[in-house]
Amino acid sequence: MPSVEILSRSTEETISQGRELAASLRPPLLILLTGELGAGKTTLAKGIISGLGVAAEEDITSPTFTLIHTFTGRVKVFHVDLYRVSDVHDFDTLGLEELFAEPAIVLIEWPERMRLRTDWPVLRIALEHVADDVRKITIAETVPDKFARRSSGTA
Amino acid sequence: MRILGIESSCDETAAAVVADGATILSSVVASQVDIHRKYGGVVPELASREHLRQIVPVVREAVLQADIALRDIDAVGVTQGPGLVGSLLVGLTYGKVLALALGKPLIGVNHLEGHVHAVLLEAHAGGRAPKLPAMCLIVSGGHTLLYRVEAKSNASGNGALQLSYSRVGGTRDDAAGEAYDKVARMLALGYPGGPIIDKLAVHGNPSAVRFNEPKMGGNQYDFSFSGIKTAVLYYLRKRPELQPEIDAREQALARGERNADALRVLSSATTLDLVASFQHAVVEGLIRRTLAAAEQFGAASVLVSGGVAANRELRTRFEEESRKYGLETFFPSRALSTDNAAMIAAAAYPRLVAGERADASLNAQPNFPLGKVVESLELKV
Repeated sequence: MPSVEILSRSTEETISQGRELAASLRPPLLILLTGELGAGKTTLAKGIISGLGVAAEEDITSPTFTLIHTFTGRVKVFHVDLYRVSDVHDFDTLGLEELFAEPAIVLIEWPERMRLRTDWPVLRIALEHVADDVRKITIAETVPDKFARRSSGTA
Repeated sequence: MRILGIESSCDETAAAVVADGATILSSVVASQVDIHRKYGGVVPELASREHLRQIVPVVREAVLQADIALRDIDAVGVTQGPGLVGSLLVGLTYGKVLALALGKPLIGVNHLEGHVHAVLLEAHAGGRAPKLPAMCLIVSGGHTLLYRVEAKSNASGNGALQLSYSRVGGTRDDAAGEAYDKVARMLALGYPGGPIIDKLAVHGNPSAVRFNEPKMGGNQYDFSFSGIKTAVLYYLRKRPELQPEIDAREQALARGERNADALRVLSSATTLDLVASFQHAVVEGLIRRTLAAAEQFGAASVLVSGGVAANRELRTRFEEESRKYGLETFFPSRALSTDNAAMIAAAAYPRLVAGERADASLNAQPNFPLGKVVESLELKV
């Protein structure tokens, strides 16, 4: 499946691109956000989650420390950050498989730190810092995969 | 009345015995920093496993150091949230069972309320009491929050000060401590980032690198630290000549050389200036908003709590700046700044006195908000 590439020139633009993207998202869906520190993963997540209408933009903060933020509204949304999980763990070990108990939209930052297993559709979003405030956002859709595999990080 | 406090919301397994919400009889903290260091952060699975290993000896030690027997405890106060659910459950379940077995009251405590009480405990130990209402900044790896703290009623009969909290502001993106950890990671300075950056910052020029003030609409008392983190990244991107020293520090850390002197030798003036400027920008952002909020909301004093409250520059600058506003700033001691159980026991006391009791259905609340909760617990005298 071909991937889509967009450019963002500011934080505000990244947020509005997230909002636009949100309009086409339906649960169940797993969104993997990859990119190095400061690439804009949380910023894009802010746009997507506020676009889904489950929280105000200013209430969507980094889940680095808290690991999982749960939002309930029109749809159930989980914002997960595996930054602090450094070695590769199995999804089950951390109890994260519960996130997939019912249809939801699950956004995961730093997904390369864990072995993910799901038969949900997957949206891979890679963020790359190209120049000063310019970010390249590459979005690729993956068909549901019934087999266990390790997600690939592009950072 | 003696309360046994239990805390296990994140890295630390802690237990303490506090008399009348004011006098610390014992405070025991088993930190997991060494375990998490090699992972650059908290690994939740390790965290809950370590809490399980530590909880029994830590509680036993706290009771022993308080020189009492378990049955002499009047109540058990336990952190209910916010925090990592797996970690919270260890302390919560242990506290619940202990209270049940001893036939003593159980009180669920908000971890953030504990941080407010950490400052009050310290002030009390020094024979002082912050004037209320106060503006309280809770600043750590996971939190950057501003609360207005006021007295609900000062019950004369038992001296338990009932407090109420209203949230004034908070971070829109990263917590201040998280920005420290991430910048330390970019520069290969080890984990946690706060103490090492604070030590190295002394050797750099804090005005060498200018960080733009984040542009934010809406609540002017909100914080943002993501922009500073990204600015550090841009700065490093433009200076590939810094990469060899980053690699050298990475190797030093791998050899276990993580003290400030060892890392300083491996840091150029450019890096030290960057570190000093980063810290200056973070500290300024924290102070400016806290003092502006204190003025706006008519606070009579300023409280600063949480892990980042141990930061030397933050303390010095807060004291200097708040004096200009005619406000006194109160900090907890270093030991009470980071997570501990004495603050949990202290926060449980007014709730115990107010007649609050948790039952066996008490559950962990990973996103437990603070504010408006205490108002319903007003003491009836």
